[in-house]
Amino acid sequence: MLDRRLIGKSPAPVVCEVEKGAIRSFAKALGDDNPLHHDEEAARAAGYSGLLAPPTFASTLTTGLDPLAALDIGARSVLVAEQSFEHHRPLCAGDKLLVSSRIVDIYERLGPGGSLDVAVVEDEGRDERGGLVYRARRTFIVRPPSPSAQVAQPASS
Amino acid sequence: MAAPKKRYLEGLRVGDELPTLVKPAIDRVQIARYAGAANDFNPMHVDELAARAAGMPSVYAHALMPMGFMGQFLTDWLKGGRMTRLAVRFVKLVWPGDVLACKGRVLARRCDEQGRYYVDVDLWAENQRGELVLKGHATGQLFFSAEDEARQRRGEPPLIVDVSEQGELPRTIKGRPITVKPAAAARTSVAKRPAAAPPRKAASDKRPARRAKTSRATIRPATRGSKK
Repeated sequence: MLDRRLIGKSPAPVVCEVEKGAIRSFAKALGDDNPLHHDEEAARAAGYSGLLAPPTFASTLTTGLDPLAALDIGARSVLVAEQSFEHHRPLCAGDKLLVSSRIVDIYERLGPGGSLDVAVVEDEGRDERGGLVYRARRTFIVRPPSPSAQVAQPASS
Repeated sequence: MAAPKKRYLEGLRVGDELPTLVKPAIDRVQIARYAGAANDFNPMHVDELAARAAGMPSVYAHALMPMGFMGQFLTDWLKGGRMTRLAVRFVKLVWPGDVLACKGRVLARRCDEQGRYYVDVDLWAENQRGELVLKGHATGQLFFSAEDEARQRRGEPPLIVDVSEQGELPRTIKGRPITVKPAAAARTSVAKRPAAAPPRKAASDKRPARRAKTSRATIRPATRGSKK
């Protein structure tokens, strides 16, 4: 069982600037050619202040801000099981956000190979006036070191 | 190519299927590209030897890559609307060679007290073997109609339309039913629907009839259990 006293643990928030180059490479990596993510004129014409970040782009802002680093997981591996994003307003190039991340829950769940530790992390980004821009929630499962049977087989390619 | 038509709530019905987005096969280059773009260099995604040493048959994609596909799928579909929520559960790992199909279905239409309209959508992605790899739901905010959008752009209050009567999830605001629409206004905008709209809409030229409601209600239970 993970240490439930880590609930509430939160690394110091970081200031992130949403860069247009980062939006373009993120969209390109997804094979997403929507002009709102690539073409500033198209984004402005659609009413955005700059290139619109794809809905999952906010996940890139929490890199290096991992409250799970505090967990003592030993040789076990961590898999993300669930993820959600709530966007309170569009996230656009040029936005400066204060991004924070916090462990909000730790519990045990019975899985196929015995009990699994589950950790839930909540991230949020606020604008310079403190307004909430997005909130994300990540649910992680800490698995035993040996890969379990639920892992799918790779494609035959 | 002409400017894409906008998506409005009036053109959507509970049970409508979203046109499937089939993504090209994922390869290791795309995974590496995603690692760079997301700044997530977990060796399980970029280091074949490390992945094998950990008992995996090969590297596998970041979980957020297929979720990103879902974001693309919804953003494209919402044309002019805005995604406000996206939530998924990861069911299976995604491997190099996998071809994912993103699918979705309209679950509910809603209107809040401020006259903001939302569509809730069920989402799922399948690989080339038909296996479910991810499922979840999303919410998009859009205008009710072109007329609603035009009014708001002129600084006028939004159209208030009771959208629940055409759906199957009756909604109330703080215990009382949603304000009844100015029916004439809503019906006027029916005439302005783009020609490309699905044929089902012909039925709503008349008042949303009760039979429409029941026929739609039968669509949904089938969607839940049977994942094609």
